[in-house]
Amino acid sequence: MLKDKKLVWTIIILLLAAIPLSACAPQATPTPAAPAPVKEVTRLVEVTRVAPAPERKLKAGFIYVGPIGDYGWSHAHNEGRLYVENKFPWLETIYAEAVPEADVERFLDRFIVEEKCDVVFTTSFGFMDGTIAAANKYPDKIFFHCSGFKRAPNAGTYMADFYQIYYLNGLMAGALTKTGKVGYVAAHPIPEVVRHINAFTLGVREVNPKATVDVRWLFSWYDPAKAREAAEALIAAGCDTLAFTEDSPTVLQVGQEYTQKGQQIYTFSHYSPMEKFGPDSCVSGQLVDWGILYEDMLTKVYLGIYTNKNLENVDYWWLLREGAVKLGGSFEHPINPKFADALKAVKVTDPLLGQLNVYDLVMKRMEQMKDPAMLFDPFTGPIKDQNGVERVKAGQRLSIGELLSIDWFVEGNIGTIPR
Amino acid sequence: MIVEFILLVLKAAIPAGTPLLFGTLGEVTAERSGVLNLGVEGMMIVGAVTAFGVTYTTGNIWLGLAAAALAGSLLALVHAFASITLRVNQVVSGLALTMLGLGVSGLVGKRFIGMPPRTRLAPLTLPGLSDLPVIGPLFFRYDPMVYLAIILALVLWFMMYKTRWGITLRSVGESPATADALGVPVFRVRYLAVLFGGLMAGLGGAYLSVVYTTAWIEGMTAGAGWIVIALTIFAMWDPVRAMLGAYLFGGVRVLQYRLQPLGISPNLLNMLPFIFTILVLMLSTGEVIRRRVGAPAALMQPYTREER
Repeated sequence: MLKDKKLVWTIIILLLAAIPLSACAPQATPTPAAPAPVKEVTRLVEVTRVAPAPERKLKAGFIYVGPIGDYGWSHAHNEGRLYVENKFPWLETIYAEAVPEADVERFLDRFIVEEKCDVVFTTSFGFMDGTIAAANKYPDKIFFHCSGFKRAPNAGTYMADFYQIYYLNGLMAGALTKTGKVGYVAAHPIPEVVRHINAFTLGVREVNPKATVDVRWLFSWYDPAKAREAAEALIAAGCDTLAFTEDSPTVLQVGQEYTQKGQQIYTFSHYSPMEKFGPDSCVSGQLVDWGILYEDMLTKVYLGIYTNKNLENVDYWWLLREGAVKLGGSFEHPINPKFADALKAVKVTDPLLGQLNVYDLVMKRMEQMKDPAMLFDPFTGPIKDQNGVERVKAGQRLSIGELLSIDWFVEGNIGTIPR
Repeated sequence: MIVEFILLVLKAAIPAGTPLLFGTLGEVTAERSGVLNLGVEGMMIVGAVTAFGVTYTTGNIWLGLAAAALAGSLLALVHAFASITLRVNQVVSGLALTMLGLGVSGLVGKRFIGMPPRTRLAPLTLPGLSDLPVIGPLFFRYDPMVYLAIILALVLWFMMYKTRWGITLRSVGESPATADALGVPVFRVRYLAVLFGGLMAGLGGAYLSVVYTTAWIEGMTAGAGWIVIALTIFAMWDPVRAMLGAYLFGGVRVLQYRLQPLGISPNLLNMLPFIFTILVLMLSTGEVIRRRVGAPAALMQPYTREER
């Protein structure tokens, strides 16, 4: 009897202890010992001689929140890392994947002290405070934090944001939905996701003012089984069009399954080229190119443009016009050709552009947002929130700061933002 | 409306619980023989990556499932050798298995990331039965693996309680020394039970990667193996109760996304499966229930002939 009880408690304790363990086994690539950095010699006299390629090396560390095999966020960042590593002979990189958000300082300590990194990139919103703490602790090193808003003299921020693309996807979703119910499988209730849902809904309602967007929260960045369950719940509630923020192609696959069974579900891919997971369901989606951001940041660090003293105001906010984000579920086409005719069949009237079909509207809006002057922004007033209160006045645009801290749903969203 | 809602939840709960059912049936068998295997998570994930890899390469889903079963039992063999022959601590060996499985699957699976599935398991359609109004979609429109799991649960229950084979298995788990004295090959029975446990865990993982989500994604079992361990206790080492537990759990998982629009805090709903796990563990340890059925008496005890 006593033994049984002991066993049960042992198992309970083990279960509680092992679940987080199993979810996050951190790994890092083995790295060869870094050669001692050679001091750069500034040549003042020999102007005529071509300066030899500097032998100075830079070592950059990347800290990912998910496994690089997630085919979403962390995968995309790792693609960016590989891009710069292949491009620059002077660059050496290391990474740690599946790092728990609460544990980032330990990894930062290791990257700086043991691995002797010169620059560290932390790629999750939840790493923000840990990154700033490390920046204060190691003032001679350089840090970049992705998706946050806190900076230090030696810590900048960067983000390739999707809100414009979500808006474009929303236009298509609004045109395609037959039930007027659009579903959104959302990861965590943080400003970034709220901003994307809002942009998406603004797009949906521009084309289809009566449509609603029903949001279900997963509380996970990455959980294929949960994503499937949420997607099926949305379909059961009458949604025929689904967008999502989660790092696996599950929602697309669910859409593809239903479509094959004869119930057309339209989906929008997220982050990686996922169209191949749902060729009959995926209309479009968002794609990212972190490589060009890392290229820019690392080159500037290498050339000494960015130092440990001047990053206080370095905040990358790269959008369509910088080429950091793209529209599409695959790199081959921005809109799945299968749905081009359906989109061309839906006509809308825009006060400025006149009457045009949704396919052309998407292309036109993309052009406007790619323009250096950013001729259009989805977050232009008048915008009302869920309760009908006007949050953005007619003609005004939300500032980057407001976008970064947005915590209210626009009109048309069903569901609440858990706090 | 309510009835329709319940039916929809039930319909989604059964596939959601199926990987858990496979794993639990395996673990029930292993524990019945007196070997605790905490490596379920590891065996499941190895099953998942093997099934996806083989299915992707050969284009045959059944080959993938068979390979997953084989891979799961190969991994279980490590645990069997360590805990039965070498008599090391079963908890330690099982935990090591989980870590090994997660690591190996990540390594092997790198090349399958982002690959679309080449084939899918179509839901079974039984002429006549599948078209019945309410019962049709509820009972007769799942993929074949769902039915395989149910059949296995029933067969296992029958064998465990109604056949000589079952008495042999249970006796080894209750009192290996007595069983040995009666001429039961204790070591062989334990080995087979643990291997069967691995086989089932492998199938459970395979269900996740080639039937339920049809993609290989690192760490995709996401703790399912640990839920299996809890479900084994909830099931009180009974295959039919395991079925109940697995579907109940599937239901709780599915329910959280369907209750969100009712204004119940998603944070609270998200805790449901875990509250449920703890509740279940507490209830099944309750004295009243336990007086009737308990853990196999020799669970976690390595057997040696010399100590007789």
